[in-house]
This record gives sequence, structure tokens and C-alpha cells, in this order.
Amino acid sequence: MSADPQKESQNLSTSREVSAAPGIWVGSLRDLVERVARIGPLKQLINWSRIYSLWPVHLATACCGAEMGAMMSGRYDPERFGMQGAVGSMRQSDLLIIEGTVTKKMLKRVKVVWEQMPNPKYVIAMGDCACSGGLFHDSYSIINELEKALPIDVFVPGCPPRPEALLNAVIKLREKIRREEVYHR
Amino acid sequence: MTDAPSAQEQSIATAVKEQLGSVVEEVRYDRKGRLSLVAHKETIREVAACLQRLGFDHTIAVSGADYLAEKRIEVVYFLSSYSRDDLKHLVLSLKVHLDREKPSLPTLTPIWESANLFEREAHEMFGVIFEGHPNLQKLLLQDNWDGPPPMRKDLTFPELA
Amino acid sequence: MSTLDLNVGPQHPGSGHMRIIVRTDGDLIVHAIPDIGYVHRGCEKIAESRNIIKNIPMLERPNIADSSHLNWSYIQPIEDLQGVEVPERGRYIRTILCEINRIASHLYGMAIMAGIFSGHTTMYMFGFGDRELFLDLAEMLTGARMTFSFFVPGGVRRDLPKGFKEKLLETLAYLERRLPEIDRIFVSNPVFIERGRGVGVLRKEDAIRLGVVGPVLRGSGVRFDVRKDSPYGAYDRVDFEIPTFKDGDSLSRWLVRFEEIKQSISILMQAIRDIPDGPIARKSPIVIPKGEAIGRVESSRGEINHYIVGSGSDKPYRVKMNTGSFKNLLALPFLLKGARIGDMPIIYGSLDYWPVEADR
Repeated sequence: MSADPQKESQNLSTSREVSAAPGIWVGSLRDLVERVARIGPLKQLINWSRIYSLWPVHLATACCGAEMGAMMSGRYDPERFGMQGAVGSMRQSDLLIIEGTVTKKMLKRVKVVWEQMPNPKYVIAMGDCACSGGLFHDSYSIINELEKALPIDVFVPGCPPRPEALLNAVIKLREKIRREEVYHR
Repeated sequence: MTDAPSAQEQSIATAVKEQLGSVVEEVRYDRKGRLSLVAHKETIREVAACLQRLGFDHTIAVSGADYLAEKRIEVVYFLSSYSRDDLKHLVLSLKVHLDREKPSLPTLTPIWESANLFEREAHEMFGVIFEGHPNLQKLLLQDNWDGPPPMRKDLTFPELA
Repeated sequence: MSTLDLNVGPQHPGSGHMRIIVRTDGDLIVHAIPDIGYVHRGCEKIAESRNIIKNIPMLERPNIADSSHLNWSYIQPIEDLQGVEVPERGRYIRTILCEINRIASHLYGMAIMAGIFSGHTTMYMFGFGDRELFLDLAEMLTGARMTFSFFVPGGVRRDLPKGFKEKLLETLAYLERRLPEIDRIFVSNPVFIERGRGVGVLRKEDAIRLGVVGPVLRGSGVRFDVRKDSPYGAYDRVDFEIPTFKDGDSLSRWLVRFEEIKQSISILMQAIRDIPDGPIARKSPIVIPKGEAIGRVESSRGEINHYIVGSGSDKPYRVKMNTGSFKNLLALPFLLKGARIGDMPIIYGSLDYWPVEADR
């Protein structure tokens, strides 16, 4: 079983290997569960339940945090998609929205938060600064290429992106999750 | 847009010149509500104590500036007053010229406690040592910053990035 | 006596990244050390290598909820050095945008700092919902919801569009009807009052000694506001008051902000009624002459200063920014000493600390 999150994050498009250990009933049970989860209707049910309960972690990094706060409020209403913003602990959430610039001092803590989230987890990079450095690209203290540190599912450009753009990103993420295998990550 | 100094500002400038005339290099009136004076690093504590008696009770900022061509680092304290009504609109800049190789200056935190964090930032960004500061540690830069102070002029982006 | 070191880490269910290392003895805080710098992006260094106009969007990002004040404080010293005087209509438009921004920023502050930190998500929804109307107004005037980049040396970029005056008066009338409701449900709520009264008391002498600014200063009894004591823009042509409370506790600081919203409504009504006709900007060269100048502006979190050294070219030689949150940071360990852990969110929230602005 690959316990290295680094390796897991690099092999996103390949499924995990099914362990072949004959005679150990725990191993066969896991094979059984994975095979069952690949059955069409069951897979759709599991994916459907995932997309209707994406809970984001509060990681308001920099300026884009203000637009994410606006998105979580009444006018744009993400709760109709099941996104509840009120949870503070990362052990109960599955969506990490990196809003704004990630500085070198903060990168270690972002990784710690990401590693503490249970699988399956998804990452949205919000704002120009998270996508490619943005307005501060020539600064001495920021990270320009965030995708080398974390696997990012959706990029949202904008400085800051409008709340509708962020909702659009969430919708695209839901389409992506719908298409995935259940034990993908 | 420079106006002429008002009577009040004239009187403050005169008071400063009278009490500190011997130890400051120049007292200048830049524009409406902005006075500046240049002091020496040896007598800076005296000057600061006198200014506090005159009514300037807090610092609003402390800035460093690196003049590479003239080989000096300048530290500027910006002072203002909350308690005296006639000084509320005035910002007094207290400047000190320091040697670029080894810039050091006695700290003014015993006189103005509000300068605590500002001096820490100037130390981090320019390398100025404030002698006697209670806690001269890194404030804003990352934990393992091992490079030279980032705001100095001889460090440009292709080297740092 | 054994103490426990708690890490109120950079990720917390609030706004922005900053860490407080808290040493507690049971429920009491022995001392607290703030650890900042998680959003330090080196704005001052970048500003030295860019054109003065291209610096405007970058230098207004540190406080995105209140960006027009940062913009104005950067432009003021440049205009002083260039010797350009802004025409009357431009001054009034600047004042109008800044007061809209102040209301939006105070509603944001009340939503997150007073609301979420004391456990009321209702105030979060109220604050953000009402704030959207002001962002719509700002979008009508400038084209952007939060990052306006609207002030340039010499004036403003655009004139008031058609229909702006009616929409502004309609929105202000709505907010005036809404404020008593918010007062009844949230500000005069006995739970909120009990949580804030007597918590984190900052006396007048300590406030002056520590050099705090903004509503923190006015909540401790010092009547100082740059808009009245060193006026700029159109603030000397309108009539308004500076709410000041004597107690110095967290509740007073929140009441200062709530009253300031009412004063901003009054300033806006006067400004839109008295605005004269005329040009909105004067031409100014894209060059900063040699010299030094200081800008001073009162934003919703305190006084903002910019110190600019000009080099004679179109890039500034040195830009130094000092914002309200950074000045107020010294009050945080002072107030947390001796407080209870349950009071920590209230004290932190009442300072309305915006980490991005403090780190620049």
C-alpha cells in the first residue's frame, strides 16, 4: 500500500495496484470492495454523494479571501451545492481552496494542512497569484509555481476572480469528480 | 504645492532650533504640516527626549532608505502628537545618517514604545542594528532566510528571484 | 505552576494568516507572541522597479476590502512633489468612493470579526449581504468590485455615471432602515454585550504610548481622526462627527465602527448633494521629481502613511508603506496578557487586524 503522499500525488491518473496476497482474507476483502465500487450505478451513487458535500477548509491566504468570503454568503449561495463554509477543521473537509499568493513562509503550513486532509481531497487554485505568481511574480518571497508542490485540480484566473467565476470552478470540479473512478485517490 | 508655514509651525520650528540648535544639523520646513530635522547618531537620544517634552508622543512610522551612491543608509522616524491639539496635523521627520557598512543606532524604544515593531522591521530589511532593542528578531521574512537584507539597493531581482 | 504553549496557527477559522503563540496557565493567558509574515510579498521592493502608475494596482492590494485609501495615500505624496492640485469635483468624487469603501469595510469587519469570532453566523450573512449593494455601487462608478485603481496623480479616472446619484441615495436609504434592525438583533444583543464589555481594556495612556490608530484609538477615549485634524480631499467641506467612547473595551471599539457607518452615510449624502461641476483631473507628468513627501489618510482600520523618495525618473526611489493594522499589532500581546482563552477571539477581532495589510 503506497503510504507516500508525494508518490500518490504524482500518479494521479493511474489507479492503485490491486494487491494480490492470496490467503489473507483482509486483502481479498479490499479487492472485493474495489471491484464492487466499479459497478456503474454504485460508482455514480458514490460520486454523486461526494459532489453534493464538498466542504472547504478555511485557508484565506491573501486578498482573494475577500471574494471567497463573498461567495460563501447569501447572494451567491454555495449551500445549494452542498458547500458549507462553517467548518474550521481540515480533518472534516475535502476541498482546499488556495486563495491568493502563497509565500515561502506559508508553503510549509499549506502542505501540512493538505496532508492532514483525508482522502479523497481536491484543490482549487484561486486567483492569478496561486496559478502563476500574478501581480507579485517578481517578489523575493513568494512561490510562483504552486503545482509543483500540490496537485491542483482546477485553476481559476482573475485578480480577484468574481464570485461567479469561483462558483463556475466548483461546478467544473463537480463534473470532474463525476467522471472519476471511486478509488482514484 | 508649498505654502508658507503658518505662525504655529514657525513657532514650533523656532522652539526646536532654540533647544536643539547645537546638536542637530538642520531644521527644514518642507511644506504645510511637514517639518524635518537631521540629527547625529551620538546625540539622537537627547534630541528624542527633547522632542518628547515638546509634545511629540508617538511615532507613526520608521523607515530606512539606502542611498547607494552616497554610501549611506538613512533612518527616518516620523513623529506626531495625540495629546497636543496644535501639533496634531504636523508630521516631524527625524533623520539620521548612518554608515552603510556597519549601520547601528541606539534604540529609541525607551522614549517611544510605539517604535518597537518598526525598528524590528528596519533591522530586518536594511540590516540596521538598534542597540538596546528588547527583541531584535525576524518579523516578516521566512524562517530560513539566509540572504542579505532584501531592501538594500545592491540586490536586484534576477539575483533574488 | 505548569504552563501550556498553544499554537493558534496560521490556519484558523477566521480571516487571514497570522500565528499567535500563546502560553496559558489553565484558562489564563500568561503571555502571547504574535508571529507574522505569512503574507509578506515584498511590495516595497517591487514598487521600486515599476512605473508609478503601474504601481497603483499592486500597492492597493494589501487591503483589498479598503483599497481606495491605500491608493489615495500613495497618490498624495506624488501630487505634493509634482505640485499638482486636484480640482474640486475630483476631490468630491474621491471622498465619495472612500466613504463607500469605508462602509463596505466596516460591514466586512463586523461580519467576520464581530460575527464569526463571537460565533454568530447571522451577522456574517447580514454584513456580507448588505455589503454587496455597496460593491454594486462601486462597480457602477469604477468598473471593479474591490480593486478600483481609480485615483491617479491629478484626479480620478472617470466621472460619475448617469443614474449614480439616484442609486446611491436609494442604497443609503435602505441602509438607514437596516441599521436599527442590525442594532436590535446583533449590536444590542445581551450576549454580544456581555462578551465584549470589560474585555481587553486599553486605557487612554496606554493607547497613546503604544501608538495605536483608528477605531482602537477612538474606543479608548482619544479624539483623533486624520480627516478632521489634518484634512484632505473634501473632508473640510462636509460636516461630520468623530464617535469616541471612553471605556476602552472591545464593546466600545465595535460601537465606534458601528457609529462610523452612520457618519459615513451622512458624509455621502452631503457630498453627493454639494458636488460642484468642473473637471475631474488635471494633467500631470508621469515623473516624480527629486524630493521626499509623506501621505496621510484615515482608512477604516487606522491611519495609513506612505513615504516616497523621488528620483527624477518615472520609478520611485523608495516607497515606504505603514498601515493601520501594523501599528495596532503592538496592542495585541499587551491586551492578551491576563485574559482568558475564551476572550482571545473577541480581543483579536475587536482590533480588526488585517494580516495582509500588516505584512504588505
